[in-house]
Amino acid sequence: MQLPVFLLILRLLFIVLLYLFLMQVVIAITRDLRKTAAIGDNPDAARIAQSFGHLIVVDSGPSTIVQPGMRFDLEQQTTIGRGPTNTIQISDNFISSEHSRLSFRNGVWYVQDAGSVNGTYVNNQPAREPIPARAGDIVRVGYIQFKLTQ
Amino acid sequence: MAQQITQQATGAIRQYRWKELGLLILPCSILLLLMTQLLVIHSSNDTTTLNNLKNLPILDGLIPILGFIAAILVVHFILNIFFRKADQVLLPLVSLLSGLGVVMMTRLGPDIPPRVGPIPNLGSKQLVWVLVGLAICLGTMFILRNIGWLSRYKYTWLLFCFAVLLPSVIKGILTFKNADPTRDVLNFGPLNLQPSEFLKIGVVIFFAGYLNDNRDILAEGHYRLGPLRLPPLRQLGPLLFMLSIALLSFLVVRELGLALLIYSLFLCMTYVATGKKSYVLVSLGAFLLLGFIGYSLLGYVQNRFATVAFNPADWAHLTPAEDKFALGSGNQVYQGLTSVASGGILGSGFGLGLPARVPVVDSDMAFTAYAEEFGLVGLFAIIGIYLLIVHRGFRIAAEASDTFSKLLAAGLTSVFALQTLIITAGDLKLLPLTGIPLPYLSNGGNAIMANFIIVGILLRISHNSAVEREGAY
Repeated sequence: MQLPVFLLILRLLFIVLLYLFLMQVVIAITRDLRKTAAIGDNPDAARIAQSFGHLIVVDSGPSTIVQPGMRFDLEQQTTIGRGPTNTIQISDNFISSEHSRLSFRNGVWYVQDAGSVNGTYVNNQPAREPIPARAGDIVRVGYIQFKLTQ
Repeated sequence: MAQQITQQATGAIRQYRWKELGLLILPCSILLLLMTQLLVIHSSNDTTTLNNLKNLPILDGLIPILGFIAAILVVHFILNIFFRKADQVLLPLVSLLSGLGVVMMTRLGPDIPPRVGPIPNLGSKQLVWVLVGLAICLGTMFILRNIGWLSRYKYTWLLFCFAVLLPSVIKGILTFKNADPTRDVLNFGPLNLQPSEFLKIGVVIFFAGYLNDNRDILAEGHYRLGPLRLPPLRQLGPLLFMLSIALLSFLVVRELGLALLIYSLFLCMTYVATGKKSYVLVSLGAFLLLGFIGYSLLGYVQNRFATVAFNPADWAHLTPAEDKFALGSGNQVYQGLTSVASGGILGSGFGLGLPARVPVVDSDMAFTAYAEEFGLVGLFAIIGIYLLIVHRGFRIAAEASDTFSKLLAAGLTSVFALQTLIITAGDLKLLPLTGIPLPYLSNGGNAIMANFIIVGILLRISHNSAVEREGAY
């Protein structure tokens, strides 16, 4: 066989492989996108999201905005803070704009601080990493104490 | 307990990163194919027959690429053990690009003309940098357990950016009289640190942290200035400081690429965070104004723009002045375009072109070398890979769970995309040519390490958000 022919074959093979790879990646990405779209469209998932639980204010500390006994609904991913993007907005000076995050996974609540100044605590334990919390636990956000109920 | 262990075991098989493994097959075979082709060409003086293929040291020659593939597989397994939920498409894309870089440097090194070259071990140097980069990528993933940690020290990052730029600023002021653009290189022993590469990551982290805190205030506006609403001064201060870094690098350090990069990054991130077009329009206006002032004051900017205005297609009727320009200060871009044109649609074939004629082909003009040898078809594929990386990055940003991670991922992806855009457009004479490297494809350890840090952060963010969404198993 002639060398130029051999090289030409290698060159064409290279181009074909390159485009096959691109195609493979595009297929993988579209499949991924379709999967997330399917999860988003599922109406059952939205219905389940209704019944998660509540946070009930036990001690409001120096705050005048929340009173003991106030009840906040929880979603699967709940954020607490002063900013308007949070699920639960509390415009108190001791609450940071993004204060803490609560997420519900496999039947357990996980509480995590979202980089606040005054901290988030579960039963007086600082929640820098996600800490599991059960119904009845005391979640302290800044100076406000909540009781987690299911 | 036992049930949990079995659940973990079945989870381990079900959750194995099969997709990533499958996507790694083709890049590896492409790299092996290219290396084989290079060896065949190097070993044959007789270019008509395949007679001397029998005594090819084929395995010896393939060792660098086999080593590279082994390293990628090791990274794949480590990701499987520790970061099972991280994005599965990024690693194959990045490994194909960096592998192409290694193969191309192996091919270019011995051909670089005297005065700079020949550099026979350019390929193995590049390989070492890529391996270091992969290690740094994994290191970044292990260190950044909590992404929020980065936002807590955002002003430290701002200072870091400024400190990193300071030596170049001093050098720039000292050499202010001559109009040559400087290259900001710090010599630390064997390492030629190029601070601008790390500067851009620091800038992104600072912007993300800063915008995360002040997004609402910036979006609302405070002062009224005609139809414009400006945020209060306290929030505006750090922003202006950051822009002054871009301005410094433009006016004093005379590094056009870095200035362009930081300024466009600023535009992208403010738009992403606030969703207000007025900021973008005003900043674009300011950019045009500054660009015009810079153009009329600084010689080096005028030189760069002269290259863009020059039309080499009409080469048969060049005036003597234009001819002098094509051989003198416009030579680099002119040669690059000639090189791209000679590649044609299918390219001259790997190892068969003459890309080394272009000055600085291994770093600034690397894109033209790929264009010549892989042709238009290969060029589209390379740009396609870049686009897919960018798409993946924005998708990671969209899926991230908190605002800071979102902004960080979007910013890092933007900086990657902008850098690619600025340098490829510069090589093809669509923008003034600047000295920033092409991510993964061009020579240089700093660029490779910085881009692997970017990929590391993106993978970590995707892992964190997936774990938060679905749990660890």
